[in-house]
Amino acid sequence: MATETTRRIAALEARARMLMSVFTEAGYDAVAPAIIQPADVYLDVIGESLRARTYVFTDPDGAELCLRPDLTVPTCRLHLARHADPTTPARYCYNGGAFRFQPQGADAAHPREFRQAGIERFGDVERERAEAEVIAIVIKAIEKAGLKDWSLRLGDLGLFSSMLDVAGLTPRWKKRLDDAFLKPLAFRESLKTFVTNAEAARLHVPEALLSSLTRADQAASEATVAAYLDENAIELIGTRTLAGITEHLIGIAESREEKPLAKSSADLIERYVNVSGPARTAGIKIAELVNGASNGSGAALETYDRRVALLANAGIDLDRVTFAAEFGRTMAYYTGLVFEVRSSALGPRSPIATGGRYDALMRSAGAAVDVPAVGAAIHTERLLAAIEGASP
Amino acid sequence: MSKLTLAIPSKGRLMEQTTDMFARAGLIVRKVGHARGYRGEIDGLPDVDVAYVSSSEIAEALKAGSVHLGITGEDLIRENISDADTRIGFLHKLGFGFADVVVAVPACWIDVATVADLEDIAMPFRRTHGRWPRVATKYMNLTRRFFASKGYGDYRIIESAGATEGAPAAGTAELIVDITTTGETLRANGLRILDDGVILKSQANLFASNVAAWTPELRSVCDRIVETLAKSLPASERR
Repeated sequence: MATETTRRIAALEARARMLMSVFTEAGYDAVAPAIIQPADVYLDVIGESLRARTYVFTDPDGAELCLRPDLTVPTCRLHLARHADPTTPARYCYNGGAFRFQPQGADAAHPREFRQAGIERFGDVERERAEAEVIAIVIKAIEKAGLKDWSLRLGDLGLFSSMLDVAGLTPRWKKRLDDAFLKPLAFRESLKTFVTNAEAARLHVPEALLSSLTRADQAASEATVAAYLDENAIELIGTRTLAGITEHLIGIAESREEKPLAKSSADLIERYVNVSGPARTAGIKIAELVNGASNGSGAALETYDRRVALLANAGIDLDRVTFAAEFGRTMAYYTGLVFEVRSSALGPRSPIATGGRYDALMRSAGAAVDVPAVGAAIHTERLLAAIEGASP
Repeated sequence: MSKLTLAIPSKGRLMEQTTDMFARAGLIVRKVGHARGYRGEIDGLPDVDVAYVSSSEIAEALKAGSVHLGITGEDLIRENISDADTRIGFLHKLGFGFADVVVAVPACWIDVATVADLEDIAMPFRRTHGRWPRVATKYMNLTRRFFASKGYGDYRIIESAGATEGAPAAGTAELIVDITTTGETLRANGLRILDDGVILKSQANLFASNVAAWTPELRSVCDRIVETLAKSLPASERR
């Protein structure tokens, strides 16, 4: 922003005001959260990879702070400060600067300082309805600001969990695959380990110890592990407890008894992950997978179909909507629906807006419970560049 | 003509071993002025200025190009210079200053042998303790890059200035990334290296800064130093 002319700033602010007017007319409360935020929440939720993209610094008191990389977490914190009960329904909108280090070097489409205009809404129990409304408002705002040529891409991290039910998995496999799905780099490798059940093999503990552990008698199992540590002169140090270590060993011991992940389940999961295409066609593909599975339940499909129908009802042209099962796996704190709005001028590398559902974030920001939350932010610089029709 | 600046460690074992290595090659390095000074020269090489600098500052000086050559550990170069392969020339391994940068966990974590196991315990740990496992280290960049290459992200780095190996027992971190030579200090602190936990096998190197102001004359001075040193070093160490 340092090199911006006043004319450029005026153009950006004019677009931002148009966006904000759509938001406030729809009943969203305009807020202006702080630019400097505690780094903790971000590092905890997004993890250490965030450090590589965020301006983290230590103030003279030693507190770890950051320049906000987005306005979603600050808006959550603002909501918590306002309401003793975090599930209190609320709708917020904002327009302000956000900051991200660009490892490949900053350019016009990837500036290190940029504006975000967005909305967040908390406490809606009718999830798909809230999601469709957020998408519809964002599209309306983008169109009002002057961009007609957009397309919408959907993903759904919750749908993966539903597909695991369809595949007929035990809760343990389900949990492990859910975790693995969010780590695309290791996903195929994990699937392979699960099919061969090879994880116990890499530990150094004797077979006799593993097989003497039982979940039925946790206290006895802990005593067995403690005795093993004693015999081998291994001191119990650190914050992890004997109970925690024993619990994990029991889990590993159980996994040896358990049948490995069925090849057919792994295949179903892999076929689902590869689903991608126009929203309506993708729905048909998912229906085929669900109906072909032994455990065919319709819950996953119902959510998908209801959302697509709600989008159509909200006036979204479904011909412009695509779905990809993989989409959103690497996107920080989302837990369900994810979406991005693209323009043909800037292409897939520079979406105009991104958003989704993030029900677990409020808890990371300090709430005692999960709070239904869905939101989206528009990258104002990109919006203006796309409207002006040229790649910036 | 302007001189070639060679940065060598200003204290400790690394300084002694560096001086010895030069001596074995017939190059006598001596300090200029009083004994506590930070400049020096090499007998018979009037075009070389020696700067005594702390090991980590040598990495910074090479990165900035304020010295032409420097002797320090590869760990410090990799940690402090993200584009080390283009910015820095790896001229010669020196056969001393051996140190492995490793991931070490409490030995009592008998349920953890590899980075993949760390991933397994991260979520249960968070449920019990309300946060991700903490990694104490002064190698923040090496740690981040290594774990990212393994697809592991559920941890928090705690920057550690010293006595890192004591952090797990003290309860200020759950595991560490640190250097070790024999593993003795780790064992004494109740720690064990993960099976796939060696991040870097480091030793002292003669490095060149590719961004320093080089002239053809300085290049030939550099070549003479490398040639002379190489004679007293195992040929296999030459890169």
